[in-house]
Amino acid sequence: MRKLGLAAALLAGSALSAPAFADGHLRIVEEPLELTIQMNHARYPIYEEDWPVEQTARELTGIHLLNDTVGANMRTDENTGRTEALNLMLASGNIPDIVGSSRIRDFVNQYGPEGAFVPLNDLIAEHAPNIAAYYAERPDIEAAVKAADGQMYYVPYLPDGKYGRAYWIRTDWLDALGLEVPQTVAEYEEVLRAFKTQDPNGNGEADEVPFFARQWPELIRLVTLWDGRAHGSDTYHDFLVEDGRIDHGYIGEGYREGIKNLARWYDEGLIDAEIFTRGSSARDFLLSENLGGSTHDWFASTGGYNSLSSEIEGFRFEAMVPPASVGGNRIQEHRRILVKPDGWAIGHTNEHVVETIKYFDFWFTEEGRRLANFGVEGVHYEMIDGEPIFTEEFLNAGPVNRSLYQNGAQLQARGYFQDYSYEIQWTNEFALAGIELYEQGDYLIPDFLGVAFNAEEQRVYDRTWGSIRDYMLEKQQSWILGSADVEAEWDDYLAQLDDMGMQELLAVMQSAYDRQYGG
Amino acid sequence: MSDRNSDFGGLPVDELVAKADAALGQRKTRVRDSHWVRTWDHFRREWQIYVMLLPTIIWFIVFLYKPMYGLQIAFKDYSIFRGVANSPWVGFEHFQTLFSNDQFIRAVRNTVTISFYNLLFGFPAPIILALMFNEIINATYKRTAQTIVYLPHFISSVIIAGIVITAFSPTAGIINTIISWLGFDPVYFLTQPEWFRPIFVGTGIWQEAGFGSIVFLAAIAGVNPSLYESAVVDGANRWQMMWKITIPSILPTILIMLIIRIGNIMEVSFELVILLYQPSTYETADVVNTWVYRQGLQSGQYDLAAAAGLFNAVVAFVLVMTANTLSRRFSRTSLW
Amino acid sequence: MQKWSLYSRGDKFFAVVVSILIGMFTVATLYPFIYIAAVSFSSGFAAQAGKVVLTPIDATVEAYGYILRDPQFWISYRNTFIYTIGGTIMSLAFIIPGAYALSRPQLKGRRFFNLFIAFTMWFNAGLIPFFLNMRDLNLLDSMFGIILAFAVNAFNIILLRNFFEAIPQSFEEAARMDGANDFQVLWKVFIPLSKPAIATITLFCIVSRWNGFFWAMVLLQSEDKIPLQVFLRHTIANLSDDDEFAIVQTAAGFSAETVTAAIIVCSIIPVLIVYPFIQKYFEKGILLGGVKE
Repeated sequence: MRKLGLAAALLAGSALSAPAFADGHLRIVEEPLELTIQMNHARYPIYEEDWPVEQTARELTGIHLLNDTVGANMRTDENTGRTEALNLMLASGNIPDIVGSSRIRDFVNQYGPEGAFVPLNDLIAEHAPNIAAYYAERPDIEAAVKAADGQMYYVPYLPDGKYGRAYWIRTDWLDALGLEVPQTVAEYEEVLRAFKTQDPNGNGEADEVPFFARQWPELIRLVTLWDGRAHGSDTYHDFLVEDGRIDHGYIGEGYREGIKNLARWYDEGLIDAEIFTRGSSARDFLLSENLGGSTHDWFASTGGYNSLSSEIEGFRFEAMVPPASVGGNRIQEHRRILVKPDGWAIGHTNEHVVETIKYFDFWFTEEGRRLANFGVEGVHYEMIDGEPIFTEEFLNAGPVNRSLYQNGAQLQARGYFQDYSYEIQWTNEFALAGIELYEQGDYLIPDFLGVAFNAEEQRVYDRTWGSIRDYMLEKQQSWILGSADVEAEWDDYLAQLDDMGMQELLAVMQSAYDRQYGG
Repeated sequence: MSDRNSDFGGLPVDELVAKADAALGQRKTRVRDSHWVRTWDHFRREWQIYVMLLPTIIWFIVFLYKPMYGLQIAFKDYSIFRGVANSPWVGFEHFQTLFSNDQFIRAVRNTVTISFYNLLFGFPAPIILALMFNEIINATYKRTAQTIVYLPHFISSVIIAGIVITAFSPTAGIINTIISWLGFDPVYFLTQPEWFRPIFVGTGIWQEAGFGSIVFLAAIAGVNPSLYESAVVDGANRWQMMWKITIPSILPTILIMLIIRIGNIMEVSFELVILLYQPSTYETADVVNTWVYRQGLQSGQYDLAAAAGLFNAVVAFVLVMTANTLSRRFSRTSLW
Repeated sequence: MQKWSLYSRGDKFFAVVVSILIGMFTVATLYPFIYIAAVSFSSGFAAQAGKVVLTPIDATVEAYGYILRDPQFWISYRNTFIYTIGGTIMSLAFIIPGAYALSRPQLKGRRFFNLFIAFTMWFNAGLIPFFLNMRDLNLLDSMFGIILAFAVNAFNIILLRNFFEAIPQSFEEAARMDGANDFQVLWKVFIPLSKPAIATITLFCIVSRWNGFFWAMVLLQSEDKIPLQVFLRHTIANLSDDDEFAIVQTAAGFSAETVTAAIIVCSIIPVLIVYPFIQKYFEKGILLGGVKE
């Protein structure tokens, strides 16, 4: 019951108003129209015409997409952002009618203005009422999608749901040591120290690893406990925006204070000694070996570790609200971002741009959106009390998110608006409990949604940012590891960053931001 | 010919010139004749080797030289959409961008330093290994060991790096376990700049020495056995035979491999660096390829990456030309 | 090779020390393979959590079951054999005559041709021009294209040329006196005399074909033409979960890690089988004995 209640609450917050149902009203063309498509993503390297979702879309719209993917075997890599498949497609000179990919934003924003992709502003205004309606509600997202010339060149994948990562802690260890869930950074430190010194796993050795993380930048996020900032978006080390002003977390006073304290924690053994090299197996290893105490990680996947209770007596790993910082703020810096750089665009040789934008718009209609999110009615889900509910059979057929894209649903190389309720039905109960906990507070802060540079700004960014980021990370790691002292080096650090063009970089970021989001 | 007006041994200049021209003309025709004749003769006699060479040359032209026009993007503001020909020239702008970046300079320095260590330790390793194999008497032992040592070459760098990271782990790694037994404090090797190069070069030897030894084993197999037979008669021991016979006999192979290795000075195993380095070790670990990769140039900015690549190629080529010239002079072995 | 009994005491000591050192190095280099094999037979979770050190944990053969049931595994395995065998033959067809010609002192422009070839070790066109060239040659998504376009490389040809150059002039002269032409000299003198070198080049060709994946990814569109190494990468991509939705399956039979390991083990086995056939050419003295008469 709790599950459904939450589902309804979240849905109400994000539902779109959509036109009424009518048979054939979604039809775009009388005669079936064939359009070519490049679709490339790490998990689905080509467009497959027999995806059930696509077959349904074809029947409803009359638009028949044909796979024409170049570089399919390259598989755009999510993590490194490699876009060779797109590059090869563009180089080969045959741009299909539709191009869908992860990491498409920078690509179309560079080559769209050169003429490779069709500008979408007017087309959306005239022919895509559902997309236009979405943007009317979220002008910030419309701004985020635009290139430096003010045109939109792609229709994005828009994630839904607010929460991404959370603080997690071994609550059974807290019980064993007679401790409460920490409410402040000072208490958190005490708890981590108790984990280290009081042998909560009871094996007689001080082998516990109080704080660990699969990705070490999650450790840096703890500077928010000292009122600093780390990552301004879901990209690590990104800039941040605060009241319309662009800044970077790694030059703030709170960051300095945070790093100083994290260095102390590291030295005391409160942080995994090998946090920088343990990598993706950290969570699996440390939790299943009954060693790990606390981490900062995704709601959806971390809650699942409670199944370890069948092997480790009493094992409970639960989300906790962010401890209050030294300044008394409870901040969860990470959230699901509102718009991804993924989606699809229209190639410049497309002779049916109106039909194509109408097709894009189809996925923003109520039926289209449901199709993109849940799959095919009667096959993957049933409508129960007006809500799409996955069939038991589908839920049990393996990892649900994988099954979805294998059927052509939840494809991030397609522009669509996610509906978070698709996820609630199969999210782990500990994760849902955690999300509910976070719902009760107001811990999230706005994300930086990125900027599109003009040529001059791009030049400054290209010249400075890579070096600046490398330097900041080098210093950061050496401070935490104790091979250098942040207090002693801070002024030199800031001076060096200014030497490397930090102020200039912030200035171009700001000018791009002001232009794009209309200060 | 420019000295027409000067005085040559009292003879009138014009006369002299006329005579000289006549002589020259005569010699020219004669040279041309004999040149053509000789060339014709040569090809008639030796046409077979040209026929044998031709497919290879055509292959190189079609597959490697023809697309080399792509190198010019190092001097262009390259747009994939516009194509190489239609992208505007920017001269040396990309090179200026590279050389005004301190971290790029550092990466060049690191690349050369790591390559130097690779040359110093990594290059002799397979030779020593091959020489050692040559000393093993038991044939089964020898064959088995040979088969095993080249296995790591087939295992991806990701897995090799995973093993290295585990081995050097400060808490559970075998290296630190030994260090703790000996009564020292554990070291977080992979975050310490001074440890990166030894670990990296050592890993390279471990992974590639076995495979690298194959070419030297082949060279040793080609040594004339009668040389050893007469050495045995002279009472030489194995150590002396190795130094006096084996090593001199495989020297051309060693030199060729050395020259090629020098030519690879700007190529440090990119994948392995990416897997083993950390921001805290960039100082010693960051090489040109990883720097280029981290700048995000691998996907979009082909032009700047091409400039870095061209710089690497030119440096390597100059070094190889030097090594090749020296080798030609002192040993007759050369790449060209 | 001398008889052990004829060895002096010093030589015996030397041989024993060498054998021990080789043994140590062999054990060290065997470890990655043992590790991979252990991972391939471990449970998915144990491998994912990095618990495998030397022996399988929660032993299972599910990873093998998973790949052996996948028809794409067999297709790509077969393709790798085609690329390797076809590619190696194609390579040798270019390299052996080419290297022979380049090793002949009477070849006019010999230095130029050698430089022409060596030059490509440092200067290459880059991804996109190469790709466009292949498109213009109509060799995209073509198995023959992959076999042909990577047939020659400067390193192999120079290496073989170098071995050819080391062959004493007298062997060739003897053949010439019998009226042999270049084709016959190559076939009857150089090739038999260079068995270890040709075995080495063959091995290099086999190995680079066997391990190669990058250009196959770039140039091939169809999934039924990809080699095993590309299949391996696809499998990893297919089996790795989103960070966000990774599902904890402590009882999982296989995972990306174990399947990867199983594919690597399967890909190494043919190499292990082939190596002894090539290795026998590295035995000392087989050569000159063979052509002395």
